[in-house]
Amino acid sequence: MKTEISRRRFLQGSAAFTVVAVSGAATALIEKKKHDEVASFGLRKTQWSDKLEEVPTLCEMCVNKCAAIARVEDGVITKLNPNPLFPKSRNMLCARGNAGIQALEDPDRLKYPLIRVGKRGEGKFKRVTWDEAYEYIKDKMVKILDEEKDNRSTIGFCAGEGMAEHTYVSFMKDKIGSSNFVNHSTICLTTTIAGYSLTLGGYGQADLENAEYVIMAGANRAEAIVTPDTMDMFKRTKGRGAKLVVIDPRFTNTASHADKWLPIEVGTDLAFVLALTHVAISEELYNKRFTQENMSDFEDYKKHILDKGYTPEWAEKITGIKAKEIREVARDFMAHAPRSIYYQGRRTAWSFQDFQVRRAQAIFTAMGGGIDQKGGIIFGKKLPLGKHEISSPTYFNAQGRIEKNKAAVIGTSGSWIAWRNTIIDGTAPYPVRAFFAYKQNPMLSVPNTTKTRQMLETMDLVVVIDTMPSDTVMMADVVLPESHYLEREDPVKTFGGSEPSIALRKKVVDAKYDTKPVIEIMRGLGEKLSKPLFEISKKYDEELQELIEDEGGEEAVYKQEGYDLADGFRHSQETINHHMVASVYGEETWKTLREKGIFYPDMDKYFKQKSVNNYQYYPEHKKSYSVIKGDLEVEPYHDTCVDTKEMSVLKKEFRTATSKIACALYNLEKKKGVDAMPTWRDELYTPTPQGRFRFITGRHGQFTQSGTANNALLLDLMGDNYLWLNKRVAQERGIKFGDKVEVKSSIGAIQIKAYPTEKIGPNVVFFIHGFGAESSELTLAHHRGANDNMIIEDHYEKSFGSAAMHETIVDIRRV
Amino acid sequence: MNLNNLLPYKKQTLKSFFSFEFTTANVAMFLLSIALVTAMFYGIGVYLIEGHHAYGVTRQHAWGLLIAMYVFFVVSSTGLCIMSSIGHVFNIEAFKIIGKRAIVGAIIMILVGFSVIAFEIGHPVRMVIYNILTPGLTSAIWWMGTLYGMYLFFIILEFFFLNNNNHKYSTIFGLAGLVVGLAAHSNLGAVFGFLVARPFTNGPFFPLYFILSAMVTGSYLLFLMYGWRYKMKFPPEVETFLYTLAKVLGLLLAVLIFFEIWRMLTAIYGNMPERADVAMHTLSSANFLVGEVLLGMLIPFAIIIYSKGKAIKTLVYASITGMVGIFWMRYDLVHDTQLAHMMPLKIKEYAQTTPFVEYTPTLVEWMISLGALGLAVMMYYAADKFFDLDHKVEELH
Amino acid sequence: MARYGMALDYKSCINCKACESACKEENGILIGADKHRIWVGVPEMEGIFPDLSIGSSSYEPSQCQQCDNAPCQEVCPTNATYYDDNGVVRVNPEQCILCTYCMQACPYDARYIDDRTMTVDKCNFCSDTRLINGETTTACQATCPTKVRIFGDLDDPNSEISQVLRDREHYSLKTHLGTKPKLYYLT
Repeated sequence: MKTEISRRRFLQGSAAFTVVAVSGAATALIEKKKHDEVASFGLRKTQWSDKLEEVPTLCEMCVNKCAAIARVEDGVITKLNPNPLFPKSRNMLCARGNAGIQALEDPDRLKYPLIRVGKRGEGKFKRVTWDEAYEYIKDKMVKILDEEKDNRSTIGFCAGEGMAEHTYVSFMKDKIGSSNFVNHSTICLTTTIAGYSLTLGGYGQADLENAEYVIMAGANRAEAIVTPDTMDMFKRTKGRGAKLVVIDPRFTNTASHADKWLPIEVGTDLAFVLALTHVAISEELYNKRFTQENMSDFEDYKKHILDKGYTPEWAEKITGIKAKEIREVARDFMAHAPRSIYYQGRRTAWSFQDFQVRRAQAIFTAMGGGIDQKGGIIFGKKLPLGKHEISSPTYFNAQGRIEKNKAAVIGTSGSWIAWRNTIIDGTAPYPVRAFFAYKQNPMLSVPNTTKTRQMLETMDLVVVIDTMPSDTVMMADVVLPESHYLEREDPVKTFGGSEPSIALRKKVVDAKYDTKPVIEIMRGLGEKLSKPLFEISKKYDEELQELIEDEGGEEAVYKQEGYDLADGFRHSQETINHHMVASVYGEETWKTLREKGIFYPDMDKYFKQKSVNNYQYYPEHKKSYSVIKGDLEVEPYHDTCVDTKEMSVLKKEFRTATSKIACALYNLEKKKGVDAMPTWRDELYTPTPQGRFRFITGRHGQFTQSGTANNALLLDLMGDNYLWLNKRVAQERGIKFGDKVEVKSSIGAIQIKAYPTEKIGPNVVFFIHGFGAESSELTLAHHRGANDNMIIEDHYEKSFGSAAMHETIVDIRRV
Repeated sequence: MNLNNLLPYKKQTLKSFFSFEFTTANVAMFLLSIALVTAMFYGIGVYLIEGHHAYGVTRQHAWGLLIAMYVFFVVSSTGLCIMSSIGHVFNIEAFKIIGKRAIVGAIIMILVGFSVIAFEIGHPVRMVIYNILTPGLTSAIWWMGTLYGMYLFFIILEFFFLNNNNHKYSTIFGLAGLVVGLAAHSNLGAVFGFLVARPFTNGPFFPLYFILSAMVTGSYLLFLMYGWRYKMKFPPEVETFLYTLAKVLGLLLAVLIFFEIWRMLTAIYGNMPERADVAMHTLSSANFLVGEVLLGMLIPFAIIIYSKGKAIKTLVYASITGMVGIFWMRYDLVHDTQLAHMMPLKIKEYAQTTPFVEYTPTLVEWMISLGALGLAVMMYYAADKFFDLDHKVEELH
Repeated sequence: MARYGMALDYKSCINCKACESACKEENGILIGADKHRIWVGVPEMEGIFPDLSIGSSSYEPSQCQQCDNAPCQEVCPTNATYYDDNGVVRVNPEQCILCTYCMQACPYDARYIDDRTMTVDKCNFCSDTRLINGETTTACQATCPTKVRIFGDLDDPNSEISQVLRDREHYSLKTHLGTKPKLYYLT
């Protein structure tokens, strides 16, 4: 039997499979378009067009402020290159610095002012004009201050580190008049700044270019942020001039450069340092002349160490580091002194004894004599700049900080955790009803996210100034978009050290969206709020009422006493910078600064290229190593995050012999009950229970906390955070690479993928901070990885209210 | 001058072209080839839109299933050409009958092979231009491509002359096609053999063994073609041919097994990195043990040995397993070359290195590859319709 | 003209990936796991906690070795891969047919496919973005925090790279294959 296929059927059949073929492929078309858009954005090859400009700027992807030159072609930035002129950044730009273009062009950026519609935290906003936003803020603030009888401190505010930070802070603190300010200090470096400043007179700079022996405890210079310390240190490790000892429970990239890596039980650093000190004292290895001439109460300290029996054997039981190793480290350190440094560290918010650890470290370094000397901790010089004064009125009704009694010393930047907890636990002496945030993301950066959310929910007004729709932005009532750092000029800054310089961030491109630099935001707020808030003050502030009577009228007082809130913010940043520079150095310097981005005296003479990679900034004999003569009169240089005024106040209050290195702070003990000398306290340390884990947090080299979590290029380098878990422990529990596990503490739980590794001990787990954003507006960061502050318990140490982030015990299970 | 004078063909109407005997086997073949060709077109459609992302090839494993399939078809073509030349170039009596059918098979196989690789090479048109303008004369791929182009030209001419019963010219072009085909085919082996970066593949083995393997493939295909053509009821001259073919195949398989044993022994001896470990991985994988060895070599070989070359009907069926085995030989060739990591370190902290490079073909790759088989069947069907591929009995004596 | 090579003081490398991101920014490379011209190789840590082998944890930054006897050049059927006047192995995207034979031939996993042109791409020492305009540093060299890379003219005996290769011991990768790579790891 034959079968025929008719012509019609044939044509139908062929039509059918053509349709099938094409339609199935059509869905792929949509996928491809999305892929293309993400895959290439911001990444452009140079076209070397005639309209190519090179504009100097300073990177803001982390706190280091490396100098960059932006290559701009036809209004678009094609590359950020290092600016070799800046001594501080040593002619480099790290992965984050290069990715500034992606941050600028991130499609998720905040583009215009927003006001919340819907419930707080829902993330529903409507677009408004700047005026409408200011109006809303004004209405709310007037109501709040009226009800609180002009207690300015009812307006709480926080700030993240930035070049324009003090513009905002001075507005809120000096003009608005609130004392309830918190910043990153107590979730970062307060204890080390205070520890070194109170001991040595300043936090100083580790001269890693010349040091011979360096102990880095916990500090992860190869990964956390890339500072001059990174650039100097890692060229000299591995037998090339410097010995590095790394004390860290985790084998970091820094440890891979070490001569010796000593894993330590989390939270026991104080025992280690005390034991080192004991060895140096009992074997008389310390620099006798230096201690005699430059240290006060050293005999007391010696007696204290020996009497308490802080032997290496004692420390071995607590830290897990062998006594033999402790002895070797102490002996090597002193053998290489004065070019030996116990590195200060940056984020030191780990345990309850942090402050004393840093004190002990500073004293130990000083015992070697490496203070204010090449190869040790140096203070350097700072180039002066003109002042930009902002008149600040006095608000008589503004009360003191709400958490001032929660720790021994609460400075002007407070204690984030204590301050927040005081608001929600009902112990605040008066209500804090408004909250302003600038460039900080407390929802992700402060331990115990749940409590931060609670705190924000109690507010009547939440205003957030930021560039990206972070989790904190999602909790706002009013969102004010700041211009990206490549879109604005920021206050000129002087950077001290052994090779001081002045650096300027110039605007590179015009603002893409309806955003403003923070000085203009403060100006706008100031214009809107001045008169209405003045009225409130007039109503309730008796001192002001008297002043008006005495000084002849409202107008006069308003203008002269600084109640015009926009006064000081009306000039453009460029005008202010011009004044600050030209008033000290003249017009020529101002021109150089604008053209090259960097200036220091005799720059043309001194700046030379030494090799393809390295430059000389100052000739050797012009570098400022030893600067202290007699009393610590020269203002010791601190790094960018340090509030120098604050440190001066503290020093004056608690140091006795101000020109000497303080081994004992008897005033501190007398006035505040903090141990005068570093003392190990058993009650402040809890060993990790068997079968459970201590959670520690930290950084990788590709991310800056939570600020870069949405950056397409950086996520290409590392797409997720993973949980570091000891391989054998993982094997026991049947956990393999990439398996989802739940990490649970007493305050919360998160889920994260596992990374079994031998680089961490069996009773510790780790994952990097900054992931796990809940904000649905961050397309790439949304629900990517896990948020460490969801599980980190909100402990804080009682000297300065600094967070103790490594005191959380967690449980793990596979899900 | 009409086409029929130049190249005699059987006239067909649309109706006669699409009619065939309604047996189970025929209908099954018809439906199968329609399904496969549909799949092929769908796969091609997806590729045209998505590009190489439709395939499972990666940076470390850039050659995938499509390359393996290309090799499969090209080897089949060369094999059929070689086997065919045994008859009308070297005048071995028993093989004389297969001339036209084998050459048509060779032409179809290479055309299908080219069509498969057209969707793997990113810029096929550019290839034709620059292969001529700026040839890379040290490149085995250049030689392979150029020689296969010439080979196709020669065997088309050979077929043309065969169809016109012009024995002088058909022999000349047959010889030319054979020589160029052997050169092209060994250059294909050299594509792999020249790779200094790949110790497991580098060396003379592939250029040499490819010729042998082509002949084995050609033999299997001939069993299949003649088994199908005569539906197992063979006229005497075909039977004689198949008995001879069985013995030839037996010899070829014996040599092939011998080659493979020594290849693997020398690969694992001495534990040389990137060679011994890859060899051990291959030796313990199902692709090799079941596919290449059992289906491709042992089963047909066992049948030939036990039946002393007489079980030609069983051999037709065994040729199916044989071809499956041949497919796995090609896949293993391409895959094994790329198994060893050239850069074994991980480049992200949160990554795991695998001991070997991993590759899984995507559905699109399978559709195009297996679909091409359907295309080959359809083209063979068309050739059978248009040309008289049978031998003329009276010509034989 | 010149014969460019690169010396890497690899012990200074801290695996910060600045070079990887600078390369992508400079040359407009697409984001994507497979798509990188340069990388930092991270060896698996040897040892069991706490006895970890610090020595096994050195990083290996790498990229196309710009071999003087490049297998990729030898196997290219259309001569799309060629040596330019500076000894840099370049790919002409107009002539590349994406046969990916070069990707098979490269012993260093230096090549990948650029999705936009559908041709093979790899490090070209910033030839078309920097060298062509007279700059003599590559993006990866310029951006590195610890200054791992020294880029320069190997044929100039006075160049820094020539000096450092004379003064210091160094090794290259897979030299036994005869590729004559021009990346030198300073020990």
